[in-house]
Amino acid sequence: MALFDSDFLKKLEYLSLISRRVFRGSLMAQRRTMQLGSGIEFADHREYTPGDDFRYLDWNLYARHDELLLKRFQEEEDLHVYFLLDCSRSMAFGDPAKFDFARQVTAALAYIALADLDRISVTAFADDIIADFPLTRGKGRILSLLKFLESLPPIGQDTNLARVATGFIHRDQRRGLAIVVSDLYDPSGFDRGLDLLRHRRYETRVVQVHDKYEREPPDMLGDVEMWDVESGLARKVTVTEKNLRQYRQLFDEFQDSVEGYCNRHSLGCTQTSTELSFDQLILRMMRQTGVVR
Amino acid sequence: MSLANPTALFWLALGIPVVIFYILKIRLRRMPVSTVIFWRQIFDEKKPRSLWQRLRHLVSLLVQLAFLALLVAALTEPFFASEARSARRVILIVDNSASMNATDVESTRLAKAKEDAHRIIQGLRARDEMAIIAAGTQPRVVCGLTVHPKSLRVALDGIGPTDGPTQLAAALALARRLAAETGDADKESRILVVTDACTDDAAKLSTEDRVQFVTVGARAGNLAITRFQVRRSTVDPIGYETLVEITNLSDEPTGEFRLSITLNGQSIEVIPLALAHNQTWSKVIENTTRDGGVLTAELVVKVDKEDRPYPDALATDNKAIAVLPKRNDVPVHMHSPVGNLFLQKVLEANPLTQLTTSKAMPATFQTGGVKVFHREAPATLPPGSVLVVDPANDCNLWKVGDKLQNPIVTQQDKDSPLMAHVRLDNVLMPEARKVTFTPAAGKPQILAAASTGDPLFAVIDRPEGKVVVLSVNLDLGDLPFRTAFPILAMNVLGQFTSSHGEMRESLVAGSTADVTLPAGDFLVRSPDGTTRKLPGGGKATIGPFDQCGVWTVAAEGTGTAVEEFAVNVMNKAESDLRPPEGVVAVAVETGFGGSFLGRPFWWYLIGLAGILAVAEWYLYQRRWIS
Repeated sequence: MALFDSDFLKKLEYLSLISRRVFRGSLMAQRRTMQLGSGIEFADHREYTPGDDFRYLDWNLYARHDELLLKRFQEEEDLHVYFLLDCSRSMAFGDPAKFDFARQVTAALAYIALADLDRISVTAFADDIIADFPLTRGKGRILSLLKFLESLPPIGQDTNLARVATGFIHRDQRRGLAIVVSDLYDPSGFDRGLDLLRHRRYETRVVQVHDKYEREPPDMLGDVEMWDVESGLARKVTVTEKNLRQYRQLFDEFQDSVEGYCNRHSLGCTQTSTELSFDQLILRMMRQTGVVR
Repeated sequence: MSLANPTALFWLALGIPVVIFYILKIRLRRMPVSTVIFWRQIFDEKKPRSLWQRLRHLVSLLVQLAFLALLVAALTEPFFASEARSARRVILIVDNSASMNATDVESTRLAKAKEDAHRIIQGLRARDEMAIIAAGTQPRVVCGLTVHPKSLRVALDGIGPTDGPTQLAAALALARRLAAETGDADKESRILVVTDACTDDAAKLSTEDRVQFVTVGARAGNLAITRFQVRRSTVDPIGYETLVEITNLSDEPTGEFRLSITLNGQSIEVIPLALAHNQTWSKVIENTTRDGGVLTAELVVKVDKEDRPYPDALATDNKAIAVLPKRNDVPVHMHSPVGNLFLQKVLEANPLTQLTTSKAMPATFQTGGVKVFHREAPATLPPGSVLVVDPANDCNLWKVGDKLQNPIVTQQDKDSPLMAHVRLDNVLMPEARKVTFTPAAGKPQILAAASTGDPLFAVIDRPEGKVVVLSVNLDLGDLPFRTAFPILAMNVLGQFTSSHGEMRESLVAGSTADVTLPAGDFLVRSPDGTTRKLPGGGKATIGPFDQCGVWTVAAEGTGTAVEEFAVNVMNKAESDLRPPEGVVAVAVETGFGGSFLGRPFWWYLIGLAGILAVAEWYLYQRRWIS
């Protein structure tokens, strides 16, 4: 079954329709900047100063009060949405693979953004940035995006979010919304990378994906050779029930630490298992915004 | 050190699959994980024990191999040379005769003997061999020579009580044969006899070479029925005589007690008695019965107006039984053209006879029963039992000749049952006729003959039935006035009906009996209800009877009783619970045998293997549960 089949596209359209109704101005798209400029919506007046464009003089007011006042309009600008998609090998784990789930979520959010006339770009990363889908606009580009996502393999070595964020923020681009879709299994810690995005005034949102067997490892008791799919290293260990208890505790602590970080810095955070379908996740995210119950 | 079973070393080959499995096992299951961030935190805490973590699989392999080696070593049954030198061969004889049922010790003497025997088994050393022989009724090996104490204990527990006589001499002979058959002359051989020594030759046997007696029970008094027999009355067809003998086998007088005799539970005789020490009392009691049944004699005492069994050490010999068969009526037809009152009355006098008479010769005769012809006999004698008296005409079996000149009885067959209690010496038989037997008569048995050798009283055994001929004129001679005449007539009737109502003598426990059975399958049922098969179609020997009571031989399908045997102790030697003087007895040896130190070497190896199994189990569990 293809990753993005017709059923997937139908669901995208459905989510797009809902988002127009409920997302407007809340999450992304059609945001109004506070800049005043050449928009069509009137804001206020100011006194004319030499050199101003005569076209914006309010002649009606001049006729009545003999006072030269210039009309000011609120300028509208489109939103830039940057998706940072984790392509490390750890994302290939699980059934369904976390990577597939992450790509579906990325595609769905990108479609909603494109439908609302926003600009999106996708940056695939692992230990470094490995591929880019350039900033683009318009629903018509969705197929190109899907093709790009489909072509991505989970090939990266150890996740290094800090290095990725450093590369990302040094690009010549406008600020915008940065959505990180990852399992955040960064050996050096996920917070440094997110800190960099945050400090560069990117509005950051985290979508953390995990598999049910990561929370509850099956059939692990006894002597096993533990094989890290990300690094490819194997380690012979004996897993006891006590070890399993410790593992569960550490995993839960990690999840709590991600949530705690996001709450501390007012970042949007969605933690999900791949047991959920991507559309259910999107709806859940809508509910988190409080517009859908 | 030597190995009793070196071929067991081949089991060491099992070490190869153990190593193979170990090699297979260390190729661990590969479990993919998305990240080792968390696992690293867990396992890096255990680094100080990493050496053990690495070695524990190897240690586990070594433990498994050591476990296998110990088991194989145990299977080879290693032993030290000193063990082999000091090994003994013990033949244990357990007396389970009737006297061992005495209750003068706790429970019974047999129970105490088995208790002692268990202690003897417990005292065996690692390589000691033992066999067990039961010495009651008929000596038998209940367990062959073995070094396995459990088998010995099971066999010992299987020895049950019997009512038969002690067979110590035969048991000792069997023990010696058993010890000699198994060879290995180096081994010290001993025969231990656990008995109450209540047998005449006990003192002599106890001093025999390599024989040691372990005695149970004390000197105890006992009152016993030492004889109980019944026989048919010689004068009354339904009468019987009972011989009872009671002996006080005690050093004290008995006090008052009663001999109670019952027939099928109905009291027929009660005799109050009191015997002095070692006194024997006997009596013949006469009685009658047509229906027969089980005649029981029992020694009782009167307590609170109730009969209670006589309280002595051995209860079995306080009771004796006999089987009285039922006597059936016999149809007798007497044909006489002139009649004879003497003959008719003699036949009528028999209470079992159903007599019919005729003067004209019947055209046909009833099958079965007895036919009596006086004077006139048919030309061909009918099948069945036939008595011909004073024949006047010829028939198919003889020709009647002239009168004998001097018909005095000079020859008699005194051994024939037809002549039992009949004496005809010098009795004159006037007008007795000469009888010449035809070839059809075969070889008649002459029971009485005249001085000339001519037969006066003879019996012909035909395939279709016996024929008795008495060539005497009852009207002219004095035979009808003699007591011999009704006895003779009763003997003849008794002979004709010999298959009905004959008494079997009561048997002594431990004896055997012969029985002739028709074709078919039969069952022998003992008094306790156990049965065993017995093939029919000929003569068979049953026994030895090891229980007192009524033994029955019955057809397997119908259950109809064919023969019944009454079995009683009736053995003064068994009833006398006072062992003879001079019996040399020893105490039971226990030694190290049953203790921890007395175990065979392989036992310790098994124990060590068990410890290793526990260690491996612990290591295994440690791998799963911290």
